[in-house]
Amino acid sequence: MSGNGKVDRRGFMKGAAVAGGATLATETRVRAQTAPAQPKAASPSAAQQAMENDPPGEAEKLTTEKTGSDFMVDVCQTLGLDYMAACPGSTFRSLQESFINYGKNTKPEWLTCLHEEVSIGMGHGYAKVAGKPMAAMVHGTVGMQHGAMALYNAWCDRVPVIVFTASAGPVEDRRPGVEWMHTVQDGAATVRDFVKWDDYPRSLQSFSESTVRAYQLATAQPQAPVFITADGKLQEMELSKAANAKLSIPKLNHPTQAAADANALREAAKMLVAAENPVIIADRYARTQQGVDDLVKLAELLQAPVIEARGRMNFPTTHYLSHWERSGPVVAQADLVLSLEPSDLYGQLNKMRDQLERTEGPKTKAGVKVISISTHDLLVRANYQDFQRYSPADLSITADGEASMPYLIEAVRQEIGDRKAAFEARGQKLLAAWKGLADRARAEAAMSWDLTPISTARIYAELYNQVKDMDWALLQDGGFQSNWPHRLWPIEKHHQFMGGSGGGGVGYQPVAALGGALAHRDAGGRTPISVCGDGEFNMAPHTLWTAAHHKIPYLTVVHNNRAYHQEVMHVQHMANRHNRGVENAIIGTTLRAPFVDYAKVAQGYGAVGIGPINDPKDLGPAIAKGLDAMKSGQPVLIDVVSQPR
Amino acid sequence: MEKPRLDRRGFLKGAAVAGGATIAVEAPALAQTTPAQPKAPGPSAAQMAAETEHPGEGEHLTTEKTGSDFMVDVCKTLNIDFMAACPGSTFRGFQESFINYGKNTKPEWLTCMHEEVSVGMAHGYAKVAGKPMAAMVHGTVGTQHAAMAIYNAWCDRVPIIMFTASAGPVEDRRPGIEWFHSVQDGAATVRDFTKWDDYPWSLQSFAESTVRAYQLATAQPQAPVLITADGKLQEMELSKAANAQLSIPKLNHPTQASADPDALKDLAKMLVAAENPVIFADRYARSQKGMDDLVKLAEALQAPVIDQQNRMNMPTTHYLCQSSRGGPLLAQSDFVLSLEPQDIYGTLNKMTDQLERKTGSKIKKTTKVASIGTHDLMVKANYQDFQRYNATDLQITADPEASMPWLIEAVLREVGDRKSAFDARGEKMRAAYKNFANNARKAGALQWDSSPIGGARLFAELWEVVKNEDWAFVTPNAYSGNWQHKLWPMEKHYQYIGSSGGSGVGYEPVGALGAALAHKQAGGRLPIAVIGDGNFNMAPHTMWTAAHHSIPYLAIIQNNRAYHQEVMHIQRMANRHNRGVESGVIGTTMTDPNIDYARLAEGYGAVGIGPITDPKDLNAAFKKGVAAVKAGQPVLIDVVMQPRG
Amino acid sequence: MKSHILLLAAAILAGPAFAQDAPKGDAAKGEKLFMADGCWQCHGVGGNGAALTGPKLSQTALPFEAFLHQLRRPAAEMAPYEAAIVPDSAAADIYAFLKSRPASPDLKDLPLLQGMGVK
Repeated sequence: MSGNGKVDRRGFMKGAAVAGGATLATETRVRAQTAPAQPKAASPSAAQQAMENDPPGEAEKLTTEKTGSDFMVDVCQTLGLDYMAACPGSTFRSLQESFINYGKNTKPEWLTCLHEEVSIGMGHGYAKVAGKPMAAMVHGTVGMQHGAMALYNAWCDRVPVIVFTASAGPVEDRRPGVEWMHTVQDGAATVRDFVKWDDYPRSLQSFSESTVRAYQLATAQPQAPVFITADGKLQEMELSKAANAKLSIPKLNHPTQAAADANALREAAKMLVAAENPVIIADRYARTQQGVDDLVKLAELLQAPVIEARGRMNFPTTHYLSHWERSGPVVAQADLVLSLEPSDLYGQLNKMRDQLERTEGPKTKAGVKVISISTHDLLVRANYQDFQRYSPADLSITADGEASMPYLIEAVRQEIGDRKAAFEARGQKLLAAWKGLADRARAEAAMSWDLTPISTARIYAELYNQVKDMDWALLQDGGFQSNWPHRLWPIEKHHQFMGGSGGGGVGYQPVAALGGALAHRDAGGRTPISVCGDGEFNMAPHTLWTAAHHKIPYLTVVHNNRAYHQEVMHVQHMANRHNRGVENAIIGTTLRAPFVDYAKVAQGYGAVGIGPINDPKDLGPAIAKGLDAMKSGQPVLIDVVSQPR
Repeated sequence: MEKPRLDRRGFLKGAAVAGGATIAVEAPALAQTTPAQPKAPGPSAAQMAAETEHPGEGEHLTTEKTGSDFMVDVCKTLNIDFMAACPGSTFRGFQESFINYGKNTKPEWLTCMHEEVSVGMAHGYAKVAGKPMAAMVHGTVGTQHAAMAIYNAWCDRVPIIMFTASAGPVEDRRPGIEWFHSVQDGAATVRDFTKWDDYPWSLQSFAESTVRAYQLATAQPQAPVLITADGKLQEMELSKAANAQLSIPKLNHPTQASADPDALKDLAKMLVAAENPVIFADRYARSQKGMDDLVKLAEALQAPVIDQQNRMNMPTTHYLCQSSRGGPLLAQSDFVLSLEPQDIYGTLNKMTDQLERKTGSKIKKTTKVASIGTHDLMVKANYQDFQRYNATDLQITADPEASMPWLIEAVLREVGDRKSAFDARGEKMRAAYKNFANNARKAGALQWDSSPIGGARLFAELWEVVKNEDWAFVTPNAYSGNWQHKLWPMEKHYQYIGSSGGSGVGYEPVGALGAALAHKQAGGRLPIAVIGDGNFNMAPHTMWTAAHHSIPYLAIIQNNRAYHQEVMHIQRMANRHNRGVESGVIGTTMTDPNIDYARLAEGYGAVGIGPITDPKDLNAAFKKGVAAVKAGQPVLIDVVMQPRG
Repeated sequence: MKSHILLLAAAILAGPAFAQDAPKGDAAKGEKLFMADGCWQCHGVGGNGAALTGPKLSQTALPFEAFLHQLRRPAAEMAPYEAAIVPDSAAADIYAFLKSRPASPDLKDLPLLQGMGVK
């Protein structure tokens, strides 16, 4: 403390470390008295210029045949990854160069995306169709931030994506400026709430083991994205033969996944057999065609109705036990509910009314018993509330639904006994009820047949008419189009439908469609179709460039209702609730004045753009033209001005 | 101890009593006493009646006032002009209150097609308007979408008032989407790069936290803030009595930290004593006053100023503006004053980008360094935007613009007999300055007729068309060669906006949109954006928001058909590894197909011109574009250009 | 889908209790109001319904009083419209418009649609 309390000329430096400012005031004064000789001119001396442009000394090594990033590629190539999607970024420059040169741009092949939301989101769609993950690489810090929402969608949807990011090395290795901006101490901190596992390996051996572990964890049930940070110094450092020889890559484990406790299954079988009106709800249950086939077996064995919750393709719409359209009455009269991999068990069994006073109530009758088979509790994180409301079940079985199904079928078989006749009678009733469903759907579709804007039923009918003899596959869930695909289309194969976004993050549709279409292209001979909302499409219109560039053909039909229509309804609801009239509800919710011309946007990105189609009669020819263009490997967009839903 | 074998109850061991533990008993009982079977699988009339119940007479369905109205009252006290948003149901009550109760004025609601735009446009806006605007992002997914734009604003120290939302407590959340978009800690994902955040749990808390957030955001150092608006608080009925108990605190306008006067006296002595002082100005000037003061300081000392172009700091027409001579001036300096440096280490040091990264100083060992900045007032861990640690001789923690008048005063008091030496120095500066424009013109002539078009030609042709307009650059233009700083008379603070802050690609189109909005408010200005193609693709729909809200600006796409920075990086890696550069285009270029940006602009309702490949066509294109901008339209001109300006 | 069933059920249940004639409304005015008041956002342009947001209203079988009751005290999720926003006379106009809507095409005339879906 300075003696007299007034601020004196040294007082402000109190407490400063000795090395810096504290000694300066003295030095400066000294120097001011003995100023250095003034240079001759304001321009720099030749010596100074030479100093700035110093060429490297003879001893300095400028090139090398092998770096750490080559080894990282070796690691990735053991995993059988087909694709690596990326929007380029300098933090992973060496890794990218190793993939395209050292790795010969194969397994994985490098895909160019124009936003990190696409790189990650296309991996989400791809994995659901291919049944295996692809990889994405996102720029340090900023790329990860760009990709955050796509990661959340995949997390909520329990879909694996192998995500790499990068970060510069220790301080002495970071070039000033941008490298610091894109470097992070804890690379996954921002997204840790919604990835299954992450690591920032500090050695090449760590990278090797962590990457293999990441792949194993991502693909184990419940699946989810994983996140590996590739250190910049590790990428770019020279890797001598001797050092390389010491490194090893562990073999990838393929662990079996948790099946249900046998006693629990026996109990479940007893309950199922005993029930008079059991109902099976399947959400994210089937990962493969086998899962679909097994569910058919279980349903037939019990002659029980199945409600397709559309998280995946679980049950053929053509089967008489498919009763999702009657889910209200079927659940209401059920005395037993078997829920397979529910993302929201509470919501399956309860409803909440969206009025000023939110009232809740069960969809089920009193005394109903509930069984769930699910991996939900094996992967729950705090903070983001994707775990949904807590819901008690009578028998909660923690296990993978698909892996457990053969054992459940077996257990049910053993219990059936004399219930066979009762089951058959139930089946007859379900068959009768089912028969009316298609007729009703067609009748409802007919209602809006000739309307302008074009009805979504008409879109799906015209589409089906032209693709029915093809191996078509739907890339969207149809939830915003009154579920017409499930009401009108014979969805029988697992690959024909891939569920929804998981997290309800708008922007999923165009990016997942791109990845799904890629997997369908590789499967060969398929016709992938995406009926994509306009608000959704605008989140990533450049997906069409990536599709054109990499020759990924699919048909995008823009369901152009010129609005974020869900939000129109919400704001309108609020306006009504407050008695203020709905005129202003279009503010901030509609995409008018000017109208977006999606065909032009598609053309700008090098895809085939058709539309806008306003007259329903023009729809058929537009689709014919689009399908024709797809045959030559092009992505196609048709802009259809449509009814809100 | 029990036998270890699995018996039929064993699997329930450890389960809570309420759920599964009781079911094993109940289930067989259920099987024995099955309920009467309903006549048909369809729902009974009674069930349907239960489902369709109209609300009871006592149930309130509407209300004249809700919590979100009060939230609007709070926001209105802050004099915010705009609220940008892509709609989301979590803030539906809030949105409806803004557009109806708040009459869509102060703030006016703006529609964006991606949350990256909502937040990023506020970044550009604040730098031109000198005050923040607001952005509202959907709960969880909107925050994730916006993350990178927030990081850019954080790194650039620019205020944005951000709101997000989250559903209320569990009993108030509708199943499904509301849970996916709810969060316990709304800011967790972005806390590393916001200045302050809060999730207020009462309306009074909302009032105080929002006012506090505004105050903190706009205090130096400025940065984004985030308030989470609880869904229940938004939608709950607000009685007159409850409303009367609420209060909104007056916004404080605190004075900002000025430099310690003793420190300034010391600094003045050092500046006056130095033979070759250099002044670096980075994020220094927030206003025209800041520029004018810097000119005064430079003239008092006859010292050269290097404008580091993160703000408009020094008129390019002033002979002491020696930015193009920064290297040599620094090398011969004996004293460096750095004003609001973002990266003082990088200013004074270099690092080679070779296999072995070598560091070296750009200054002489004896050179003294002083800085005035607010950097240390706001540093967060994890993201490394704080840059490398650097020792200085006199480090003054203070806002330099607020401190500048006091520094000038202190310098004037110290000048004494140094005046003639200063004048001599000034003459040398004048002499050097005379060559700058000539040198730049000579450099520009090199690429005059080239196709792809060179940066100098672009900026020269542009100048010819806009020289009599009140133009302003709304992009940094570093990648197109900074020709405006070399060739244009930049004298007003609003004529140049600085850079992205965090170098997150995507800043250019979104920052430009917001800045153009601020220029529109100021009236009569012609905003010009030179946007990289890779940057533009991150948010092409900014053109729709501009068209919809009649925000005119001239967007020139610097179309080098690549993420060119990354092309160079990959090429460098390939060379370093002796692998040839042919593959360097993989993942870094945007050809095959070429993107037609004019068509994209038209698709989004803006005027699209181009592609321009012949430099002779620039004049006509600019004339047409400027005429359309003056008529109130957003315009895009696609110019196929050299890799770098 | 559910709300569709709900409203039809409401008609069935409520029908006998409201067996009066509807007031005369102006269908042309009603069409404008149907759009301006945002009815179409959930029920579609033309009022032919959307499975997940609002049932078919064109050629509604609901008696006017039941229609009005649904507007004022809606069952399930529908947003309430009070008289301050949609007065009874406007509701009558909308009702008249809905009643005046042409019949939907008959499925028999739509071979393309007949061929759709599960057999």
